[in-house]
Amino acid sequence: MKKFIILFFASSVLFAHAQDPVARGKELFGDLKARHIGPAVMSGRITDLEVHPANARIIYAGTAGGGVWKSTNGGATFNSIFDEYCQSIGAVEVDPTNPDNVVWVGTGEVWTRNSVSVGDGLYRTTDGGNTWQHMGFANSERIAGIQVNPKNPNEVYVAVLGPLWSDSEERGLYKTTDGGKTWNKILYINATTGCSDLAIDPKNPNIVYASFWEVRRTPWSFKSGGHNSALYKSADGGKTFKKIHNGFPAGQLGRLAIALAPSNPNILYTVVEAEDDKRKGLYRSDDGGENWRQLNNDFELLVRPFYFSRIVVDPRNPEVVVKAGLSGSISRDGGKTFKNLGPMHSDIHDIEFDIQNSDILYVATDGGIYRSWDGGTTMEIVENLPVSQFYHVSVDDEEPYNVYGGLQDNGSWYGPSSSPGGVEAKDWVRIGVGDGYRAYRHPTKKIIYSEMQGAENVWRFDPIRDQAKAIQPLPAKGDPKLRFNWNASLTISPNNPDRVYIGSQFVHRSDDMGETWVKISPDLTTNDPTKQQQEKSGGLSRDNSGAENHCTIFTIAESPLDENVVWAGTDDGNLQVTRDGGKTWTNVVGNVPGLPKNTMVHHIEASVHGKGTAYAVFTGYQTGDKKPYVYKTTDYGATWKSLVTPDITSFCRNIQEDYVNENLLFLGTEFGLYITLDGGQSWMKFTNNMPNANIHFIELHKRTNDLVLATHGRGIIIIDDISPLRELTQEVMNKDLHFFKLKPAVINEANGFGGNSTETQFVGQNASTAARIVYYLKRRHTLGKMTLEIQDQNGNVITELPPGKSKGINVVEWNYTIKPPKMAAAKTFAFGGFTPLRVPAGNYKVVIRKGNETYTSDLVVEYDKKSPIPLADRKMQEETARKLYDRCQELAYFVYEIDENLKAAEALKAKNASAAKSFAPYVAGLTQLKKTLVVTEGDNYVGAAEPQLRERLAELYSRVAQSFYKPNQAELDNMEALEQRFATAKADFEKLRAKYKKFEDALIKNGLGPISLKPFAEFVKEP
Amino acid sequence: MKKPVLFILLTAGLFSLQAQTPDEIISRYFENTGGIEKWKSLTGMKIVAKANQQGLEIPLEIVQLKDGRQYTKISFQGKEIMQGVYDGQTLWSTNFMNMKAERSDAESTENFKQQIGEFPDLFLNYKTLGYTVELVGKETVEGSETFKLKVTKKPIKVDGIPTDNIVYYYFDIHDYVPLLIETEIKSGPGKGQISQIKYSDYQEVGGLIFPFSMSQGIKGGPAGSLTITAYELNPKVDEVVFKYPEGN
Repeated sequence: MKKFIILFFASSVLFAHAQDPVARGKELFGDLKARHIGPAVMSGRITDLEVHPANARIIYAGTAGGGVWKSTNGGATFNSIFDEYCQSIGAVEVDPTNPDNVVWVGTGEVWTRNSVSVGDGLYRTTDGGNTWQHMGFANSERIAGIQVNPKNPNEVYVAVLGPLWSDSEERGLYKTTDGGKTWNKILYINATTGCSDLAIDPKNPNIVYASFWEVRRTPWSFKSGGHNSALYKSADGGKTFKKIHNGFPAGQLGRLAIALAPSNPNILYTVVEAEDDKRKGLYRSDDGGENWRQLNNDFELLVRPFYFSRIVVDPRNPEVVVKAGLSGSISRDGGKTFKNLGPMHSDIHDIEFDIQNSDILYVATDGGIYRSWDGGTTMEIVENLPVSQFYHVSVDDEEPYNVYGGLQDNGSWYGPSSSPGGVEAKDWVRIGVGDGYRAYRHPTKKIIYSEMQGAENVWRFDPIRDQAKAIQPLPAKGDPKLRFNWNASLTISPNNPDRVYIGSQFVHRSDDMGETWVKISPDLTTNDPTKQQQEKSGGLSRDNSGAENHCTIFTIAESPLDENVVWAGTDDGNLQVTRDGGKTWTNVVGNVPGLPKNTMVHHIEASVHGKGTAYAVFTGYQTGDKKPYVYKTTDYGATWKSLVTPDITSFCRNIQEDYVNENLLFLGTEFGLYITLDGGQSWMKFTNNMPNANIHFIELHKRTNDLVLATHGRGIIIIDDISPLRELTQEVMNKDLHFFKLKPAVINEANGFGGNSTETQFVGQNASTAARIVYYLKRRHTLGKMTLEIQDQNGNVITELPPGKSKGINVVEWNYTIKPPKMAAAKTFAFGGFTPLRVPAGNYKVVIRKGNETYTSDLVVEYDKKSPIPLADRKMQEETARKLYDRCQELAYFVYEIDENLKAAEALKAKNASAAKSFAPYVAGLTQLKKTLVVTEGDNYVGAAEPQLRERLAELYSRVAQSFYKPNQAELDNMEALEQRFATAKADFEKLRAKYKKFEDALIKNGLGPISLKPFAEFVKEP
Repeated sequence: MKKPVLFILLTAGLFSLQAQTPDEIISRYFENTGGIEKWKSLTGMKIVAKANQQGLEIPLEIVQLKDGRQYTKISFQGKEIMQGVYDGQTLWSTNFMNMKAERSDAESTENFKQQIGEFPDLFLNYKTLGYTVELVGKETVEGSETFKLKVTKKPIKVDGIPTDNIVYYYFDIHDYVPLLIETEIKSGPGKGQISQIKYSDYQEVGGLIFPFSMSQGIKGGPAGSLTITAYELNPKVDEVVFKYPEGN
């Protein structure tokens, strides 16, 4: 019968094989998973907050590039609930009629700074955020507001601000009356003016307010305002609208925020951006918008309307108004006067009051969420939001390696890729201020380079002496103004450790760590004067921050194979290369097929596979072209081949080649990571614990083969050791099971005390230090048995591990140990006995059994070559640990034998009390002996009994087994003493047995004996 | 009994596209795993298993009875530790420190009581239990295509607040057995994260098909595994074991 079963299972598997397509994407990548190291110490930009209307514990946060996060504990901690979708969030709205379940999310941030991402429409969950449905507006790019009719959830209004860099007829105010199945555009102005804010009267939901904003960005300018910006009101559920400007200044208007007081919806506040500075600021209406009066034009009310245009009114008090701003400010007199909110990260985007207590409020900033318990005076940061927005990442060669990068409004930092207890806030070191961009560790010295916006400062930082020196190139006599990009192209050389590059319109090179600079190029940009008028930028509110600097070099790459081959790409679409160290430059962008003119060169990757080989990634989204542009050349740019396939659904910013397999490439896009195994003929999206984040830069760590991603909203994300992907050929993927070449596994010797984070702080995941057994499965294992065991050189099974069963790549980790010793049974635990025993370095075999098949692979385990511990010491440690392990087990067996004797005595007593009587001293002797071997009373905590031989052996075993050093003299002396004690106990037992050898006869005579003990080997196998 | 079970498993794939309603999926699941009558006839189950946590093997004995009584017994160094024991009234566990029995908090006990009647499989009785099941779509689990079923149970209380109680089951579209169960963690340190239990190594026991391997963890995080060495159907159990030891 058994045969029959196996046969059927086998055929069932075969049958399924015929149906299964070859693994791709998440299936193929299987257990190759991303890990997130944050950090959350500086967090990132939060765009929109939303509270549950009835449950004060539930808060939602939309972020600039980190998706949507939900707190269920009143803001103590948050969890990500939107990983698989667009991570740039414009608006989050909880359905007031079903707040536990229905939440709407409009994607596309509406705080329209230069580095803002794009959205891809509207989503809704009906199960509190577990699953999401796309509800339309795929081309909207930015959704500024969503309002659900509190009396009829089928009626929903959506404010579509629309594209930032191009015209669009999708802008406007929309309404559904069927819960989102169909949408009607109920107010549209024109292709340049979008709906930027929205409010609905909670008492009379037919009253709707909507503001419209005329706005446009180009890569070199920003314009807020025009004659079409306006504030509208409908009193009939959106059938008709009228402008409500009575009391507003004349002329052009800019961004208008609108808020009503929930406790008295006739009281409205708006912030007006106008032509006349004196007429800008806060306006209030007490009659539902019919008439307005200007109350205040303090700095905080006027500052950067494109970035801070939100007013929030206390839900219980119409006179308490909070305005987003550089610091954020609060009025308690109906808007007449304001004071700043308490100290916190600057750049405030949204505020939410607790639903019951106005002393509690939550604030969205460029540096995370802050909570206040005292009405906004004292602000406390939420410490578990790793939504940090990196622009770039680089790595060093320390062990573990560090990552370096700069962030939006959060300076530059470095931190470890792994750290005891996980990567914590305390592990991150600040290495620059302002907005941070590119940062590098000097290849051979403990020196770090970093920069701030527009290369206003480029630092050479000595972290040991804590000294920073500014080194940026400055115009010398006869030089024109140097034009640096906001995110200036600082680069180091792969050939000359002291060499640094930075691009203005020129390529500047220093061979002495920034002490002296040489211009090695002419102006490599188009130098178009019409794109160099940043002092006029801003529209109605001048905004010349430097963010729009244009006609600059954005990316520089020196060939790792030839220091004279240098590539430079500009933000205005020139792709230049020199083959003679900068003497002559050739603009090769004209050779790139299918590329619109003036498309920004976002990244050039100079290849290790050929001097003339390079990859170029272009972005056109800032001129409204969201197509991907990725190319490869092998002839110094004379010809280019596009690597774009329909698999890639968004524009791209970065590409990383593998250093071994030229066909293996990693592509960073606006919506996640893509991988090709065939040189770009097809791409697969990597989604294993990898959010749909916007990837600005990718680095491949040469020693570890870790892929390190700089995301603009989810911090640094690492995929450990991608080397199995190098082996993935069609042939491999057709095998039922394939073991990837297993690298020698090095036993990690760290055994310290961990970190110091508390429960509400984010802690980044560490890389595993276990041996990684990696194999490919053609189909998920579901039916029948599958096992994985480790054998020693002689084929002895030393441990079993739970195998991975997924289709695609499986990673099974082994921490180099076999199971703990079998311990003697006792009243309480000997905690030392839970320590598993580490194996010595050597050759091992991995054996997988699946159905009738057996698959094997070799696994080499090594000691850490950098460790100072001599081999003889290791061997002594191993022998001593093994000896103590064996002693623990021998003692277990010894106690088992005593227990069996005691049990037999009990049985004899029950059967023949008088016969048993003569053995009472024997029982007493055994009981007394046992008391010296194991604890027979007490508990596992402070009620513990005095430790006996078992407990002392276990403690010593555990101490020696966990150490990497040879045992110290105290341990050896202690072992000798315990061994002596054990020997004495055994001798005592033998004496007792000799004295009462008739005990066994009595048992037999009474039909109970003889005592039969399990063989030792069998006994120790039992749990 | 064995023959039809396995025959159906073999041919299951042929019908995968036709099965579209949750009840069709559930009914195929029971057909494929031994037949609904056989499932209904179960009165109890004992599972002998070992949990593996990085080298440490934890031997477990899990008993579940139709009337809701259950226990998990962990054996270490000759000591037996009871966890999640329900005696018909009290939910209790052994405290690891003093090795004495302690009652679970009232809310946990009430929440536990709500799901009595799910044995041996909630899909047998879900309508009587007042649960609803809907098919929310198809998803890939570890490379296998699955039907995703959403089970809405009666709300539980979390720190005093009634909270939705939703569990997602992922059934393999070829074999019609669950590969994954997901649910949001409602309290404790993992609150808000998604708990996952993955099933594999389905094998036959007394005419029914059971998973012999489970892995349990947080979505995107590490998982611990449970290897089952034996299922005993309708076992004889000493009733005293369940009883909360008053005054212990």
